[in-house]
Amino acid sequence: MAARILPVLKLATKVTIAGGALYVAVDYGLLGSSEQGSQALEKAKAAIPPALEEWMKYFGVELPTMPKIEFSPVESWNSGVRWTISSLSEAPTKASDYTNQGIQYLKDLTK
Amino acid sequence: MSEKQLGKKVDRCLADGAIKLGTGLGLGIVFSVLFFKRHTWPISFGSGAGLGMAYANCQNDLRSHYLLHKSEKVGL
Repeated sequence: MAARILPVLKLATKVTIAGGALYVAVDYGLLGSSEQGSQALEKAKAAIPPALEEWMKYFGVELPTMPKIEFSPVESWNSGVRWTISSLSEAPTKASDYTNQGIQYLKDLTK
Repeated sequence: MSEKQLGKKVDRCLADGAIKLGTGLGLGIVFSVLFFKRHTWPISFGSGAGLGMAYANCQNDLRSHYLLHKSEKVGL
């Protein structure tokens, strides 16, 4: 009798686990609108340090503290864009200046 | 749409995309292990579906500025 119930029981367990995973995903708003998704990301980011500390205490291993990186990729990118555009806008003027200087230099050589 | 609003919307799009990709991946792994004998295709299906949902959300979000909404009254 147990041999007959076992496949049904296995299927029921699998369906329960899969259904539970789906329910958790929908309940946390992971599959909803953009605002829900970004709020869930904020909550997850805020919950990581305490969880990490709990794990470290449990295992008794001290992770080396992350060095505080003062580098902001957004700032670097923005300043890079500004530099590129400003040099592009100044390029014709500078090119003509350098050409004139070069011509003056050559004229002075032939004098 | 002002630049600040656009920046916030793009930030939301990216965060939402990351969340949905992760969720799709996770659900794909769960389903692959439980029901589909550890094949790879449910995982790719899940991640792809997650990315698609994020793309649709982002599209709606960016378009909503230019659409009339039900609550607004239009003079005829």
